[in-house]
Amino acid sequence: MSRLKKLTIPYIVWMIVLVAVPTLLIMLLAISDLDIFNLGAFSFTLDEFAELKRPEIRIATINSIRLSSLATSLCLLIGYPVAYYLANSPSKNKTFFVSLLIIPVWSNMLLRIIAWEKLFYPNSILNDFFNIGLDLIGKDIAIIIGMLSMYLPFMILPIYSVLEKMDKSLIEASKDLGANNVSTFIKITLPLSLSGVVSGIIMTLLPAMTAFALPERLSGGNTLLIGNIIEDYFVKSGNINLGSLISIILMIFIIVLFIIVVRFDKEGETLI
Amino acid sequence: MKRLVEIKNVFKSYDDNLVLKNINLYINENEFVTLLGPSGCGKTTLLRLIGGFEDADQGTIFFNGRSILEVPAYERNINTVFQKYALFPHLNVYENIAFGLRIKKCPKEEIEQEVRRVLKLVKLEGFEKRHINKLSGGQQQRVAIARAVVNKPKLLLLDEPLGALDLKLRQDMQYELKAMQQKLGISFIFVTHDQEEALTMSDTVVVMDDGVIQQIGTPEDIYNEPKNRFTADFIGESNIIHAVMKQDKLVHFEGLDHICVDVGFNKNEQVDVVIRPEDIVLQESNDKKINGIVDDITFKGVHYEIIVMVGSKEYVVHSTDKQEIGDQVSLHFDPDEIHVMKKT
Repeated sequence: MSRLKKLTIPYIVWMIVLVAVPTLLIMLLAISDLDIFNLGAFSFTLDEFAELKRPEIRIATINSIRLSSLATSLCLLIGYPVAYYLANSPSKNKTFFVSLLIIPVWSNMLLRIIAWEKLFYPNSILNDFFNIGLDLIGKDIAIIIGMLSMYLPFMILPIYSVLEKMDKSLIEASKDLGANNVSTFIKITLPLSLSGVVSGIIMTLLPAMTAFALPERLSGGNTLLIGNIIEDYFVKSGNINLGSLISIILMIFIIVLFIIVVRFDKEGETLI
Repeated sequence: MKRLVEIKNVFKSYDDNLVLKNINLYINENEFVTLLGPSGCGKTTLLRLIGGFEDADQGTIFFNGRSILEVPAYERNINTVFQKYALFPHLNVYENIAFGLRIKKCPKEEIEQEVRRVLKLVKLEGFEKRHINKLSGGQQQRVAIARAVVNKPKLLLLDEPLGALDLKLRQDMQYELKAMQQKLGISFIFVTHDQEEALTMSDTVVVMDDGVIQQIGTPEDIYNEPKNRFTADFIGESNIIHAVMKQDKLVHFEGLDHICVDVGFNKNEQVDVVIRPEDIVLQESNDKKINGIVDDITFKGVHYEIIVMVGSKEYVVHSTDKQEIGDQVSLHFDPDEIHVMKKT
């Protein structure tokens, strides 16, 4: 075994203990009646599949899809122009604006969610200083604003990275051939930035769909997403087998989306 | 001949850097013009001004008698072959070429007919469905030309389009471009830093340096009658010698008076003299001629390149006769092979 290979051992052990084993365990839990707190004899069963019809799962799935696709669409509408502007601005400004996007991502997400939560109650700091009393907790708009602020950078950055690398002479060539600004955007810029758009959509849609702290805090516990259901089954109601099954379904969904990204972006230039 | 493009008193700067200083130039219909100069001389900037990708600080550019400074690039009847071709990577050969016609909303049959016509012109029949990334550099170059000429522009701008090709292909393309220009009957403005390319293809060569036009003329003029030291040095190999013009048709250098054909200088004016390496004939040393010692000899194929030291000055001589290093020789040249230039 070469020395370099030896250096990968900690990583491999890490992956086995913390990723492979838990994943296998979750798979096992999903298709059996194994009780994690009472390990012992168990039998395989597909009973949990019937449980997927429960109303709370249906509502949470619809909420997840509805809120995450709305947030993703808004992220795209807001994010594309920002990415386009950034990519075309002078290089000394680029670093500054890109840092403005990235630095918030480095701070703890839960902290940022709680900060929004405080602002959305009527007696917030906004009320103290500006006499503005928001009352958004429990409304979809609170979750949407929260999602926008969490995930917008993940929409902007992949699109920016594609636009930034795009050969600017292609734009000139298009204009040279008679296309005005609008046609040039539709026929050249947009198709060539599609890989960034697909990556951005998926990188926004996935965390938005599976979020659980965000909807819990910003809806005051009223709006459940699929992540909240999983958390509830695992932590509160002890229905670990059903929770595992939903997790596995989500994981398959994520893998499928990942395959789509890789299809669109063969060089992986948009993946962060 | 009708003037197609007229450039008047054009200035252009980037930040504090003046890259075009009072450019005046006109281009006739059906003319092959080359902008020739070292990198950074402003030739590409001038081309981009004509194409509409940059704005001039001062001056005007007329196209077909109309000022085009306010006309955006997409409304000018001018097309460009870009340096790195700038082919659209998401479109195939056919769609790249059809791009301009689709923008003009030409009928489908016409587009098909025109694309086939230009594919034939650039000898790429059968490549319609080919992906851009699957083409060689030379083929990409041809697609770029086809994509531009399919729009039937009155003027085609070419920004060092042969730079990325290997020598053999580049030479072939030089002849093809010239033939294409004559067949299409439109004007070409070709930017290059390669003097051989410029001399081979052009009707008119515009020599530029440091944002200033140094000389405009036919390839023969530029080569045989360079106006100044820069042009003489940049176009081909030259021997440039400090000299004094004693009177009309008499110039003094290397301690000897030489009869020449140049007139119109002041008495005893300091001048530069150019003698091309192929115009010097080496003979046995002779007291009445410039004498030197063969310092180096290199075989170049058609001729030998011989370096002759005259005192501490090097003379380059091209000759089909071989010499030995250390030979004593004298330099012979005819009066009309001495070219006298004003000092700059």
